Amino acid sequence: MELKIRKSGDNYIIDVNGEMDLYNSYKLKELVMKMLEKKVERFIINLENVDYIDSSGIGALIYICSTIKKMNFKLIITNIHGSVKKVIELTKLMGYFPITNSIEEAIQQMED
Amino acid sequence: MANDTTYLSEIHEIRVDENSPLFDKTGLLYKEFPSDYRQIRYFTLLIVQSAPLEIKEINLLEQQISEVIKNAVKHGNQCKPEKKVRVWYSFDSSHAQLIVQDEGEGFKDLEKWNEFNRKRLEILSKQDYEGLADYVSFRTQKSDDNDGGNALFAALEYWNGGFVYNNKRNAVAMLKKFPQKKHAIG
Repeated sequence: MELKIRKSGDNYIIDVNGEMDLYNSYKLKELVMKMLEKKVERFIINLENVDYIDSSGIGALIYICSTIKKMNFKLIITNIHGSVKKVIELTKLMGYFPITNSIEEAIQQMED
Repeated sequence: MANDTTYLSEIHEIRVDENSPLFDKTGLLYKEFPSDYRQIRYFTLLIVQSAPLEIKEINLLEQQISEVIKNAVKHGNQCKPEKKVRVWYSFDSSHAQLIVQDEGEGFKDLEKWNEFNRKRLEILSKQDYEGLADYVSFRTQKSDDNDGGNALFAALEYWNGGFVYNNKRNAVAMLKKFPQKKHAIG
C-alpha cells in the first residue's frame, strides 16, 4: 500500500494506492495521526485505487473517522467502489462514514 | 424519519450447532496450515484458487475466507506455528462451503458478540449514526490495535446459508449460496 498526500486549498487529500489489508492498514492510521499532530484539520481519503479491503482496513477507517469526529475536524472518504464498497455495505457502515462519489464533491462538501 | 426495519427483519445470529448439515465433510476438499500470521492471505489464495471465477466476484469470497482464517490463526491458535488450522471446503457456481477449525479454546465471547450485534442492528434500524459510534467495533480484553472488530458483522451478512460454530466453538462452518444466472432457451 502506498500513501500520497496532496493539498487542495485547506484540504489534505490522501491518495491510497493498493490493498488495505491486515498487513498494512495501520500505515494509513499512523499517517493520519501524524497529520493531526501537525494540526491538519480537513482530510479527504481517496480510495480510487483501492480494490481490496478487509476488516483491519475497515477498522482503520473507523478509528480515523471516530478520532477526527471527536476533534470536530472534517473527514470525507471518496471514490469507494467494487469490493471496498461491498465490504462497507456488508458491515452496514455506509451511513456512518462521510462518503462522496468524487474528490470534487468532497471539496464542495468541505465548504458547505 | 421512519425507522428502517430491514435491519431487524433479518437479524442474524451466530449459532452453535454441531449437528448442522454445514459440518458435513462428505466430498469436501481439505488443506491444513501452520498458524503463521504472515501467510494468512497466501493460505487463503491456495483455497480460493479452486473456486470458479463467477463466484469470486470482485475478491469478496477471498476477503471473507481470509477473515475466518485470520480469526483461526490469531484468536484461535494465538499465532503459534505448531498449532494447525484445518480447512475443509467445496465450491461450485452455486455455492461456497467451508469448515475452518483451530486448536484454540473456542470463541468464548460468542453470546456477548450476539448481544452486541443485536444492539448494533437496533441502532442501525433507528438510523442513529451518533449512537452507532459505540457499536462499530466489537472489542474484548484480548483485542489489539490491528483487530478491526468488525469482521463477523460482514461475515453474517455474506454467509447467507449460515455461519455456525461447533460445541467447543473452535470450528466454524459456513455456506454462501450464489444466485444462478438463468440462460435463455432457443
